[in-house]
Amino acid sequence: MPKIQEILSGAAAIAKGMGVTIKEMMNPVITDDYPDAPPKFQERYRGLHVLQRDEDGLEKCVACFLCSAACPAQCIYIEAADNTAQERISGGERYAKVYNIDYSRCIFCGYCVEACPTDAITHGHGFELASFNTSTLIYRKEKLLAPLAPGQTGKVKLDHPVMAETGH
Amino acid sequence: MADLITLTIDGRKLKVPAGTLVIEAAKQAGIEIPAFCYYEGFSLQAACRMCLVEVEKMPKLQPSCTLPAADGMVVHTESPKVADARKGMLEFLLTNHPLDCPVCDKGGECELQDMVFRYGAGESRFTEIKYHQDEKQWSPLVYYDPARCILCYRCVRVCDEGLGVGALGLTYRGVAAEITPSHGDHLECDECGWCIDVCPVGALTSGTYRYQSRPWEMNHTGTICTHCADGCKTTLSVRNGAIIRANNRDRSGYNGEFLCVKGRFGYDFVHSGERLQSPMIRKNGKLEPVSWSEALAAVATKFSEIKARGGKFGVIGSTRTTNEENYYLQKFARQGLGTASVDHHRTGDVPALIDALSGKTDALAAMADLYQAKAALVIGADLAQQHPLIAYQLRANYRHHKMAAYLVNPGASREEQYAKKSVHAPPGKEMEAVASLAGELKGHEDLVVIFGASLRGEGVRQLVSFGDTLGIPVKYVCLVDYSNSRGAMDMGLVPELLPGYRSVREAGMEPGLALDEMLAAKDLDALWAVGANPLESAELASSAAFVVVQDLFLTETARRAEVVLPAQSAYEKNGTVTSVTGEVQKLKAGAKVMGTKADLEIMGLIAKEMGLNLGIWSPDKVFEEIRRTVRGYNIPLPVVATGGAAQTTPVNGRVPAMPRPEHIRPSGDTLFTSGTLGRYSKRLSSVMEAPGELFKG
Repeated sequence: MPKIQEILSGAAAIAKGMGVTIKEMMNPVITDDYPDAPPKFQERYRGLHVLQRDEDGLEKCVACFLCSAACPAQCIYIEAADNTAQERISGGERYAKVYNIDYSRCIFCGYCVEACPTDAITHGHGFELASFNTSTLIYRKEKLLAPLAPGQTGKVKLDHPVMAETGH
Repeated sequence: MADLITLTIDGRKLKVPAGTLVIEAAKQAGIEIPAFCYYEGFSLQAACRMCLVEVEKMPKLQPSCTLPAADGMVVHTESPKVADARKGMLEFLLTNHPLDCPVCDKGGECELQDMVFRYGAGESRFTEIKYHQDEKQWSPLVYYDPARCILCYRCVRVCDEGLGVGALGLTYRGVAAEITPSHGDHLECDECGWCIDVCPVGALTSGTYRYQSRPWEMNHTGTICTHCADGCKTTLSVRNGAIIRANNRDRSGYNGEFLCVKGRFGYDFVHSGERLQSPMIRKNGKLEPVSWSEALAAVATKFSEIKARGGKFGVIGSTRTTNEENYYLQKFARQGLGTASVDHHRTGDVPALIDALSGKTDALAAMADLYQAKAALVIGADLAQQHPLIAYQLRANYRHHKMAAYLVNPGASREEQYAKKSVHAPPGKEMEAVASLAGELKGHEDLVVIFGASLRGEGVRQLVSFGDTLGIPVKYVCLVDYSNSRGAMDMGLVPELLPGYRSVREAGMEPGLALDEMLAAKDLDALWAVGANPLESAELASSAAFVVVQDLFLTETARRAEVVLPAQSAYEKNGTVTSVTGEVQKLKAGAKVMGTKADLEIMGLIAKEMGLNLGIWSPDKVFEEIRRTVRGYNIPLPVVATGGAAQTTPVNGRVPAMPRPEHIRPSGDTLFTSGTLGRYSKRLSSVMEAPGELFKG
């Protein structure tokens, strides 16, 4: 009698276990196929920074240094310069001539994004930063800037409201 | 001491002299009353209405900046009524003030930002469009953004009252009101930039600091301006080794916040592209860059060789290097090279004054005395052009204490605006004009006499004996032109005198050649110019002379040199300098320029290479030696070390050997020129007022 009971309970256990297996076989796969397929991210994932442009393709960054001040790892280095009538880079009075982020120090905390008054710096979804050479981990502005969208020139016509407003 | 009265501020009983303003009384008690337009030392405005306080038994809130404290007054500075008023005022100020703090240069050190943060309303009830006017450029150095201006009149008052320039005023009314230069669209003034400094908001911004950085990004170093002899403390703001701003907001130093155009903007020579950054040796007739070791060895070998064969040395020191460097240089020349031919570019007859004052104590004026004296006599000096701080001190003295100023000048000067009497006398005839003022001068409690280089030798003695006849305490200032001219003289960079005005005969030497004689000597074997440019206006007679130059730039003298060693400016090194009033202050290194060395280190390394033992070449050690051995320099170390100014004590004895006054050549610098350094400062020459003229009013 105990023998039969043992067999039955064993079979039940196997059935239960197989039930889980079969049920999971029916569910959609959640593992990423990285690196064979690109990984999927949540929208608010904090990856490589992107410096955004406005609708005209001008840089949103006005070099206010607030991201650099907020940065606990002190990895943001900025040099500001004046927009001129001949060359307008950003929508504001000034722009970042140099904008470097040192990714060997960045801790992806997002404070810079929070501090930015013009929503210029954002976290993108780039994450493949590994390098054999730490000096390549300092990303310059050119590498961080969002690409120009089709139709954008990054230049503003003289009758543009921004130009009229600043008197250029 | 005026009568003390008792008043109560926020429940605290205070005793203050009668007539004290409530805002000042509160400050003394450590109670801060916010204000924009109130500025200590300048006239009262009561324009901003931020300092309103509640005074019991007074029907309305009172502006504390114009309210003299009265006996038994009970003041509340933090009552709900006051808080409400402040909040309301800030809301009004922000109706037109743009909220562009992130791009505004003032962001981070803005008084309006601080006050809104502390007292202000988070939200505004004004939904109307802000009245906007475009930013204006008034000069290469000053920008004005009317939209940010809160019309506190601080700039107007410092310009008018502080400097006597009056270049700013108010135009239009109501919402359109804005500050306007007296020339309409541009400034014609001293370009001192003080208006930028006092601006509580970002309305006035500096053309040079604009968008360069943010206040928290910089390191601040308090050092002494290297342009004129007034010795103003200037705070260098440094980012990545480069100076990007100079001001004196911390009010350290005897100049308070005052700086002229040279102190505030004239630091750009430091980062000039023409700075020497590598030693050079003449090879095949051309100066070629070489290593430090090669250059130092070349100098040492040649110096040793000339010394061994008893050759003729000429050593020219600088008016801009530190006391330590000047002391070390004369020691090097006299002990190391065995020559008594040591000199520098002299710009005033200090030894004659010290000699004439022998037996008197307390007869050399300090910078603070110029603000306290009851009367001042200025002889042969356009102070506003040549000595801006002295001019400012005297004007402040007149403004606050009604000091009586007497001028004896060859032409007009700005001091005539308030002078009690001004006599025009050509150089050489000053003493007659001075004598004619005797009757009036006698009537004052005390007097300070400020004289330029037109009085020298016998003239200085006549002046002092004239002072003695007045029967009132008289103090003197002998004007010299460069930042450490006084120190160079004190440190014995003259053929006749050792440091501390002792005769060279005490060291068993006869006086050597003066500067002009060195250049004229056909048999000179070596000329060593440390931070000096004697060939700017003269020729070197000896064609075979081995010329060594330590300088910042490839000057006329450096072009003639066999070896050129790149030196550091005063903004890059430590040490002490002595101002025109004999006050010793400390230099602190701020900027860095690659490839350069301090003159003291260069001299020390040459000495080491030559096998001479002249002592350790660190500024602190040499200053220790100066304090021990140089007469007058036994000054309290803590005062100097903590950034204060310590006046050297009078030598109080005859000067045994008089340096010849005919070798004095005043620099003739104006407000916009500064000898060799000024030539390499693009900013000083960029303003339309440059180069300026003396005695033109």
